[in-house]
Amino acid sequence: MRPASRRIVTALAVGLLASLTACAGDGSGADLSAPGPSASAESPPASADATPLAAAPAPPARVRIPRLGLAEDLVDLGIAATGELEVPADPARVGWFAGGGRPGGPGPTVLVGHLDSATGPAVFARVPDLVPGDEIRVRSADGGRVVYVVTRVADFPQQGFPTEAVFGSTPTDSLRLITCTGPYDRAAGRYTENRVVYAEPHSVP
Amino acid sequence: MPSPSRTPSQRLLAAAAAGGLTVAAGVGLAGPAAAETEVDRPSSFTSAFTVNATPDTIIDTEGNPAEGAPGATGTFTFMINSDEEIICYEITTTGVEPPYESPAKTATHVHEANAGEGGPPRLAFPNPTGSGDTRTSSGCLQGPFTTGLEGEDGADTGEGFSLAQIEANPAGFSADTHTAEFPAGAVRGQLTAIPVGGVDTGMGGMAAGNGDQAWVAAGTAAAGLAAVGGLLVWRRRASAGA
Repeated sequence: MRPASRRIVTALAVGLLASLTACAGDGSGADLSAPGPSASAESPPASADATPLAAAPAPPARVRIPRLGLAEDLVDLGIAATGELEVPADPARVGWFAGGGRPGGPGPTVLVGHLDSATGPAVFARVPDLVPGDEIRVRSADGGRVVYVVTRVADFPQQGFPTEAVFGSTPTDSLRLITCTGPYDRAAGRYTENRVVYAEPHSVP
Repeated sequence: MPSPSRTPSQRLLAAAAAGGLTVAAGVGLAGPAAAETEVDRPSSFTSAFTVNATPDTIIDTEGNPAEGAPGATGTFTFMINSDEEIICYEITTTGVEPPYESPAKTATHVHEANAGEGGPPRLAFPNPTGSGDTRTSSGCLQGPFTTGLEGEDGADTGEGFSLAQIEANPAGFSADTHTAEFPAGAVRGQLTAIPVGGVDTGMGGMAAGNGDQAWVAAGTAAAGLAAVGGLLVWRRRASAGA
């Protein structure tokens, strides 16, 4: 009766199976920015059994960053066959890691958007402008809202990426935004670093 | 052999964790199986898992719910290279008060156990240490693994265990730590998969030296517009792309 808990398992399973091509793998903007929805975003919630997340809060549905004028619905992301996090197939969309935390619950809610498409800025082009103190508002599918405040930003190399520091669980509610930064490796077809924006719920006065 | 005092192997592991020493396989450890070795972090991983450990998930050895440490929390993050049989661990507990206690060689484990069920430890990690309420344990271990605990078949419960088993079914494994006050476990949680490696969130269209600087200029202007004029530009981008 709680589809939310099933969906997280389903999304994870789909993510593991899906071999979604990462955005810059072949450098071909045309087919990568085609309006094909990502596999995980479109997957129907199939039935799944045992889950430890019976009390999981509702999944996030929309993010708003007032200072950047950004307001976007979220698509589900899983883990690709490479082990990496999937990224939105469409550089204009923002995704969330469906196997991670949820607003209002423990663990980080991880939101991901492209810095750029093959031809210009993408949805998270200005996320690197965020600084501590900036607000990020997340609305959940059940209408719940959490206002987060940026606490710090950090850049990490994509080689030797500190998975623990970015995706590792936290005992309390937290939010992390990820996009690219640093030099673009044209041979590899991807940026060499990730910008990670860490945010915590706004403390209620 | 339940005892709150540390065995020699525990001291060895603790020393290895603290000093970054290399423990030769099998040295000082009881049992016939070769024990894990403290190793450097490998250059790559095949998978990663995280655990949000809480006191309300404890199951005792009889399979019944048991009390954990009230108000305590724990996070366990594991990065695995199953080709090299290496597991790196980063463990943080808050409010879990030593002394640790377990019949295994340490009291901090990965058990093969579904949520709501008990199960044997397959991996034993150095117990978190630190001054104050928050304690940590981190490092990397290379198998073959032992737990120092004899299973029903008389073999060490880590014997024959392979990290690929975690990758095949992470939800079938839990992580916990046991103390004298909460011997069934102070905090516990199930493993969930998290991504490995960087996130490929760029296609290079804004990268310097992309050949067409006009795009960069246009992009900057568009971004500025979005900031000043609100959602309109971004909304259009979104709908055009969707």
